[in-house]
Amino acid sequence: MSTHAAITTAGLAKTYRVGFWGRRVLALQETTLSIAAGQIYGLLGPNGAGKSTFIKLLLNLIQPTAGSALVFGRPPTDAEGRAQVGYLPENPTPYEYLTGAEFVRLAGVLAGLRGTELEQRVTEVIGLVGMSGAAGLQIRRYSKGMTQRVSLAQALVAKPKLLILDEPTSGLDVLGRQLIREIILEQRRQGTTVLLCSHIIPDVEALCDRVAVVIGGKILKEGSVAELLEQDASGVELTVSHVDEATVNAMTSATVTASRLGERWLLRLDEGQSPAVLRRVLDAGGRVVHLQRTRYSLEDLFVRAVKESGRSVGSTVE
Amino acid sequence: MRARAILALALNGFRESRRNRVTVVVFAFAFAMIFLATFALGFTVATFERVLTDVGLGVMGIITAVLTVFLGVGLIPKEIERRTIFMIVSKPIRRSDFILGRYLGNVLTIYAIVAMMAVLFYAQVLVEGAPLRASHVVAAFGLMLEATLLSAVAFAFAAWSSQFVAGVATIGLYFLGHMAGDLFRMAERQTEPFAKLVMKGMYYVLPNLGRLDFKLRATYDDATSAAELLGATTYTLAYTALLLTIACLTFERRDFK
Ligand SMILES: Nc1ncnc2c1ncn2[C@@H]1O[C@H](COP(=O)(O)OP(=O)(O)O)[C@@H](O)[C@H]1O
Ligand SMILES: [Mg+2]
Repeated sequence: MSTHAAITTAGLAKTYRVGFWGRRVLALQETTLSIAAGQIYGLLGPNGAGKSTFIKLLLNLIQPTAGSALVFGRPPTDAEGRAQVGYLPENPTPYEYLTGAEFVRLAGVLAGLRGTELEQRVTEVIGLVGMSGAAGLQIRRYSKGMTQRVSLAQALVAKPKLLILDEPTSGLDVLGRQLIREIILEQRRQGTTVLLCSHIIPDVEALCDRVAVVIGGKILKEGSVAELLEQDASGVELTVSHVDEATVNAMTSATVTASRLGERWLLRLDEGQSPAVLRRVLDAGGRVVHLQRTRYSLEDLFVRAVKESGRSVGSTVE
Repeated sequence: MRARAILALALNGFRESRRNRVTVVVFAFAFAMIFLATFALGFTVATFERVLTDVGLGVMGIITAVLTVFLGVGLIPKEIERRTIFMIVSKPIRRSDFILGRYLGNVLTIYAIVAMMAVLFYAQVLVEGAPLRASHVVAAFGLMLEATLLSAVAFAFAAWSSQFVAGVATIGLYFLGHMAGDLFRMAERQTEPFAKLVMKGMYYVLPNLGRLDFKLRATYDDATSAAELLGATTYTLAYTALLLTIACLTFERRDFK
């Protein structure tokens, strides 16, 4: 058996035509990416960045405008290839006339399970997502969280080697989010590759090995989470006292931010600027209470990437 | 593997319609109509059997056609609009499996409803003391053939267009299909060669639903030969296969957004 990457794409792109004049929306621009098996890979981006578009291309739900994709070495149009894949869509809508158990069973049959294995797996995954108590209830009676859980169960039913999750924690309460996080981590322990799409930074930061930051249909940054944070890790946090507001305001800029802590000020800045800022504080008669190098969080990285791209939501329209 | 997926989808569709209030309501309405229509009409003893058959089968025919168009046209567009299709076609099945499974579930539902209406109608015929004739059974079978073909017409349109467009097209073809025989006779009498060609062409291209309609024969208790029935069945199956192929091909490359 050759060892395929779980997902590879080459110049994968999708353009939608909208409106009467057929304006082109570049939902996803030439994306070339390789996602190795066995990890949790995050796609992080604001709403409308193109994350769901990317996923739908992998599952043959939409046709690419250009480029190609392979999942475990097989193109999305290869139906049998999807036997290895479990998919939880964004805001999933299972058949509401079925009970939770019936829907998961249908998913199992379509994924190729049968007989006692089918029944076993259905019971197992429903238990895993904590829905045993409501499995006999029609889905039309479910809350958003329950629907999300049952939909995750149907994605897991056939023990996929690749789990594709589009905004899996949306609409869930704290317990539900925690449960999903645990399930994702357990899946990786079992060797499943997970593609996690989210705009929720803490989820991505807590779970993912690698991440691609997607904005406006383009991947702006890609790498291991640790690596990405390391790249920009040269920040400094400076706590000062005995300076007045005017002095502080004169120093703040795009790269120097200040926040008041009672009598003190907390300044966050790039390392390169620290000599200049320190000098100005001291010249103004201020005192340094505390100085610390900081690691950027993924959130800082994300906010920066968004700023650099000059857009907050949506994609390029021509 | 493919057969299993298609069967699972078909049975699931059948289950859907049983749990769907609309189908149940239409069905209850059908029952009431068949009863009321025959009783409300005053008829003389001489025409009694004829009127009973005429009205009973007529109501069954209308209800079957309405139900077939209504169910057939809405199924696929609703799955796409509600995005229920995402968790189904992302499974290791082909799009054509989805179409075929959904189609089979749909016609199964309609067969069941026609069969139940027919049983009710026969019961009524017997209660009234009229004889139950083979032509009655043939008429009900004809309704099932029509539902088979008309469902396929609905699917062939709904696979690539909206519910509205598919609905208009299917209803249009329903009426044209019933007039296909008249069109042929008109073509025969036509002297203008081009018009004659067009009319004959339309006759051959249109689904000839008149050929599957044995209601009038039941009214007058005309016999239908086995060869004729076999011909109608073969015609239905061949035309249906063609339409479903079109449905599957157009559905194959469709985007679900
Ligand atoms: N069916 C569609 N028709 C037109 N534009 C679309 C369609 N689906 C998505 N888009 C556009 O493509 C871009 C990417 O959307 P999407 O992939 O859903 O983003 P995300 O999942 O990252 O929030 C958005 O600008 C969105 O408006
Ligand atoms: Mg999305």
